Amino acid sequence: MSLIKQVILNADEELRYPTPGELRMIQTFCQSGAERIQLVKQLEAKAPTIVEKGTRQFWKICPRTPSNSGNRIKTASAKRDVGWYIRLISYCLLAGNDRPLQEIGLTGMKDLYANVGIPLTNILQYMRCLKAEAIKQLDAATAEEVIPYFDQIIQYIALPGPPYFINDGVGESIPVV
Amino acid sequence: MTNRTNGGSPVTHPQAFHTVPTAVIAEAEQRDRYPKSSELKTLSAFFESGQKRLEIAAALTQNADKIVAAGANRIFTGGSPMAYLERPTDPIGMPGSRYYIGEDYLSANVRHRRGKGTSITQFKEPQSIDSTNTLVDQIASLFAQGRPSVPSRFRTISIAKYGTARMKRSMRDLAWFLRYVTYAMVAGDTSIITVNTRGLRGVIPEDVTLATVVALREMQWKAGQCLLPDSNAAALVKRYFEVLITDYLVEKPDDRLRIGVSKLHPGQPLPQSYYQSALPTPKLVVKPGLSETELQEAIRAAYRQVLERDVTQAYGLAASDLESKLRSGLYSMKEFVRHLGKSRLYRREFYEPFTISRVIELAHRHFLGRGLSCLEEFQTYFDVISEGGLPALVDALVDSQEYADYFGEETVPYLRGLGIEAQECRNWGPQLDLFKYSAPARKVPQFVTTFARAQKPLPDQHPYGVGNDPLEIQFGAIFPDETRHPSAQPAHFSSTSRRILISSGLQNGRRHNGHVEPNASAHLGRVPGLFGQSVFKLEPSHQPERGSHPQGPNVNLAHHSMDAVILGAYRQVFGREVFDSQRQDVAETKLKGGEITLRDFVRQLAYSRAFRQMYWENLYITKSIECIHRRLLGRPTYGRAELNRYYDIAGKAGFYALVDAIIDSPEYAQVFGDETVPYDRYLTPRGYALRSPQGPTAWGKPRHNPAIAGEWMAAQSTAQSAAQSAAQSAAQSTAQSASAVAVLDRQAEPASMAPSPVPNLAPEAAAHNGHPSSPPAAKPEPMATAAQPSEANSP
Repeated sequence: MSLIKQVILNADEELRYPTPGELRMIQTFCQSGAERIQLVKQLEAKAPTIVEKGTRQFWKICPRTPSNSGNRIKTASAKRDVGWYIRLISYCLLAGNDRPLQEIGLTGMKDLYANVGIPLTNILQYMRCLKAEAIKQLDAATAEEVIPYFDQIIQYIALPGPPYFINDGVGESIPVV
Repeated sequence: MTNRTNGGSPVTHPQAFHTVPTAVIAEAEQRDRYPKSSELKTLSAFFESGQKRLEIAAALTQNADKIVAAGANRIFTGGSPMAYLERPTDPIGMPGSRYYIGEDYLSANVRHRRGKGTSITQFKEPQSIDSTNTLVDQIASLFAQGRPSVPSRFRTISIAKYGTARMKRSMRDLAWFLRYVTYAMVAGDTSIITVNTRGLRGVIPEDVTLATVVALREMQWKAGQCLLPDSNAAALVKRYFEVLITDYLVEKPDDRLRIGVSKLHPGQPLPQSYYQSALPTPKLVVKPGLSETELQEAIRAAYRQVLERDVTQAYGLAASDLESKLRSGLYSMKEFVRHLGKSRLYRREFYEPFTISRVIELAHRHFLGRGLSCLEEFQTYFDVISEGGLPALVDALVDSQEYADYFGEETVPYLRGLGIEAQECRNWGPQLDLFKYSAPARKVPQFVTTFARAQKPLPDQHPYGVGNDPLEIQFGAIFPDETRHPSAQPAHFSSTSRRILISSGLQNGRRHNGHVEPNASAHLGRVPGLFGQSVFKLEPSHQPERGSHPQGPNVNLAHHSMDAVILGAYRQVFGREVFDSQRQDVAETKLKGGEITLRDFVRQLAYSRAFRQMYWENLYITKSIECIHRRLLGRPTYGRAELNRYYDIAGKAGFYALVDAIIDSPEYAQVFGDETVPYDRYLTPRGYALRSPQGPTAWGKPRHNPAIAGEWMAAQSTAQSAAQSAAQSAAQSTAQSASAVAVLDRQAEPASMAPSPVPNLAPEAAAHNGHPSSPPAAKPEPMATAAQPSEANSP
């Protein structure tokens, strides 16, 4: 779901043409298109470094974790998973909003890790390390665009879900520290 | 016979059409990689052309009426066809629309004024043209250049003969065509036109096909004229219209059929347009003369489908033996998939950690690309796997007729999800879950349990699954059961199911067999004040001109003074005490003066801006109705049938009619009458906990029990009676009670020094109970008669 689709769906819902305001929104979206493609290219180039160095940093903070257990497969799959999140961020940059990250990545993420048995705290630390590493690796302009998405992942993990009683599982109403 | 059970309804966002960015992202995501440089090039071309396309879209918007009028005037004679074009009403007033017409007008003005200074190209608001202009336009266009010629078979249609209803429909359709061309222009992709117009010929009557095409050609020409100075833009518009006309002329494509699994569970058709609107799924085929990169891609796709992960990327290990056999042509794709399923890795990942039922469900995803369809199918495969184990199951699935039909020898299996083919209702929810990345994390079988549940009686839960609607206020709120691990399992409620209010009997206080049962809804109001709430009633003594009450005025000012009643009304209607600015002063004055009844006062409160904002504008309609109903009538709605009635009122007549319908209902008159402030007639313990200051979490917290329950209870009862007698004596004389408090305080001092196991209770009570650990010196001496705790407990 990109920004353009959103606009068209809204307009169609109300049986009208896109309003001037909406068109202007798309206009700025298109104008910044070339820059965002550059950002994606840069992020793609830096992604392996970010993952590699971020993982080192993470192991310093959390030495006892499955990825650091010496099992090669576990290490590789941990790196693959975080690489996957960085790739989702690059999709978000292209789409102009956070829907790809939300739909592909974040929905059901907590359940997944809870079921697999990886503590959410570790994932949280991992993401923080990656964020710090991304700030170091990317130049200021790129980081400015990219970091909000990292923040979104971190917030999604760290904060409890909607404040209703339905979410009472571990890591839901009890915030992960 | 068809199975009408449903499998839950998780939220989905079906793809309505695609734009360039969504297509690129979906493609990259399915292949598990970053966008390729060629894709990025497409994207940047799309962004670069953005400015131009938006200008065209704005121009089309601005000239919309002119273009539609040109098309219509071409085919209709004998009147002004534009008079039949109905403008969409502004969606104001519906809940969720968030604006009033007044506000929108103002903000539009502000926008307009501000717009003059900025540098970004301004898009003008659409202008409607005068219908008197059409004749002039018509004459002018007669002499214009390059007008499309009309086929000789074509005859113009007389408006008078054609009829008002059909005229309106035709004009709506012409406007609709232009609108979709504009959308496509904004999206930069003709997909939206194709999806929506292909097959339309079957819908619009056949005899007007020719006329429609003539009108569309005219509109194409006119749109080109509007953009004329810019020949590129005109060409682009022309191309989009061309796509529209071509797609319109195509015969309606056949539905795509999904093959059913058994006679009891037949297949289903999927309209072609759904298929087209879905994102293109790469169907990878392995053929002998394939290039290395393509082969590599197909192999990776097979790994992703069967093992749910890119094995090569994470593990660096691969079934190299199998791969080489595939490369050499020894194995077909089907055999490759079969051997992957029998491999050690598959066994370790998808067989050993799961129960048999779940293994079957996952295997269906991997080898057939869908979830289990029905219980009979599950039983068949359960039989197979119990006889021959995992290899037999894999063989059975891969050798099945369905696999051959869909994937054959060469195609890599793919997920047949939403948009690819028709989805079944009975396994809808579980199937959507099964296609998620997190499916292997779920150990509990999901399909079998859903099918089994469909055969049981209705459970006490929300029809769409517990936890679907978390607020107490919402539909189905009266069954407070699963809170800790709510499942998305649906219950098979139909439109005929009714909700029963506990302790109201089966009648639910409603009409039965068409006649009103005597005293039927009196059940509902019988126990007000159950949870410490009180009923505010406007006694006649407040309203002087109504005559005096036989029993004289009521003096309990806490509940019966005018101000208390008004405050109570605010509290009930708004759910809280309102701010001063939100108070309805006029209505209050009228009520105090006896001009209006309390019922009308409640109506005025519900009409107010604040109420509307709180319960109507920002909510979706079901929730809005539930909230208002609960506020004004004091109970949740009974069910779908009742809600449907309110939907109807809300949709056709709007907010104020809805409020009126509730307040003027016979039930309101019977239960509250003219003089009682509405009160909550249905309150669950959980709802009560929700409103408590500790919040809903307090309800489930373990009680803080002392170590020995017996002691605690004894201490509690003594403490209570002590407090009671103290209160009694306080009532006797104020002077005495002052000394009593003082004495009680002094009594407490020595007792608190004793090591008491019950720190939070009144210490003197523990002492009085003759607790062995308390030293006799600490025992207080009876000092004054008023200070004696109680006769019953004194030794």
